[in-house]
Amino acid sequence: MNNYWPWWAGAIGLALVTINYTLTTDRSLGVSSAWDRVLHWRSERRLEVLDAQFADDRALVDAFAAATAEQFGTGPGALTLPDAERGDAQAAGQDVGPAAAESAPVASLRPAPLVTQAALLLSILFGGWIAAVAAGRFQLRLDMGNGYRQLVTANPTTMIVVLFVGGVLVGFGTRLAGGCSSGHGLSGCGRLRPVSILATAVFFGTAVVVSFLLWKVI
Amino acid sequence: MRTRGGVLGANIIAGLALGYIVCNIGFGDYAELNRMFTFQDLRMLFAFAGAVAIIVVVFAVLGVRRTPGRIHAGVVPGAVLFGTGWAISGGCPAIPIIQVASGYLPALITIAGVGVGMLLCGWANARYFHLDRGSCGL
Repeated sequence: MNNYWPWWAGAIGLALVTINYTLTTDRSLGVSSAWDRVLHWRSERRLEVLDAQFADDRALVDAFAAATAEQFGTGPGALTLPDAERGDAQAAGQDVGPAAAESAPVASLRPAPLVTQAALLLSILFGGWIAAVAAGRFQLRLDMGNGYRQLVTANPTTMIVVLFVGGVLVGFGTRLAGGCSSGHGLSGCGRLRPVSILATAVFFGTAVVVSFLLWKVI
Repeated sequence: MRTRGGVLGANIIAGLALGYIVCNIGFGDYAELNRMFTFQDLRMLFAFAGAVAIIVVVFAVLGVRRTPGRIHAGVVPGAVLFGTGWAISGGCPAIPIIQVASGYLPALITIAGVGVGMLLCGWANARYFHLDRGSCGL
């Protein structure tokens, strides 16, 4: 009926992506966060410009300190501001609570640059397209397939309404809950974060109930 | 790897791999998704749960930090809304992209809905909820 991967291949693949991303970037993979930041690109861009300005100011202070030290014969390190005062410890949006502070190596990170989040979303599109074409599943169509027609609706207008409402619920819900199936489900549960385990249990449980309703009742 | 170029490269590789793998598992196929949520076919469920199990073990072995994460008032209602939306549209935030990539053009409407929902949540939170929602760690 289909030529989808066996469960173990999918499990290894998803795990490798999550682990590799975490180890190479010291960040967690989260698609809903990427969407959110791309959608708020204006404010994100403003923050990045401010951040760059801040870095420039810091470099200027360091340069003045070094020049002053050279003029008066003191070591350059003596007049350089300590890291804590320079704001290096800021990690906007990151977990910088006591537990995070205990593990210093990954505690202070700025959010990933905006362009990288847009690249993530576009890459997902391209990767999915390669998979669909390679497997012979790619087919441009104006419906969501037989399963959707049988389980949800065969009416095109109703389909558009349901998809839009579903999308709104997904967007609103993931932002309210602070994550989605990749951020909470894979990265968060993988780190055994209680909030992620709770969120995953609730969104999966709700999806099970609603899916049973669609299958058996509606 | 904390340079801009490094993170960009990592995101591109992760995105390509995630899109390829999620599409090949079948998460973009609504019928497969419904069979998973109704336990008629446990293949995709095992793929997801197996991935989490592998990640838990590898992170524990490598000593990857356990971030604290605060359970705030938005977690449960947000997850209920998300679960409902996922079940009726077939899309978590990444999956509508995969559906479009597979040729299901109506998934563009799901993507538009996701965008509207996120903007609505930001507005509603600023105006009414005032929750410090945090993020899943990105």
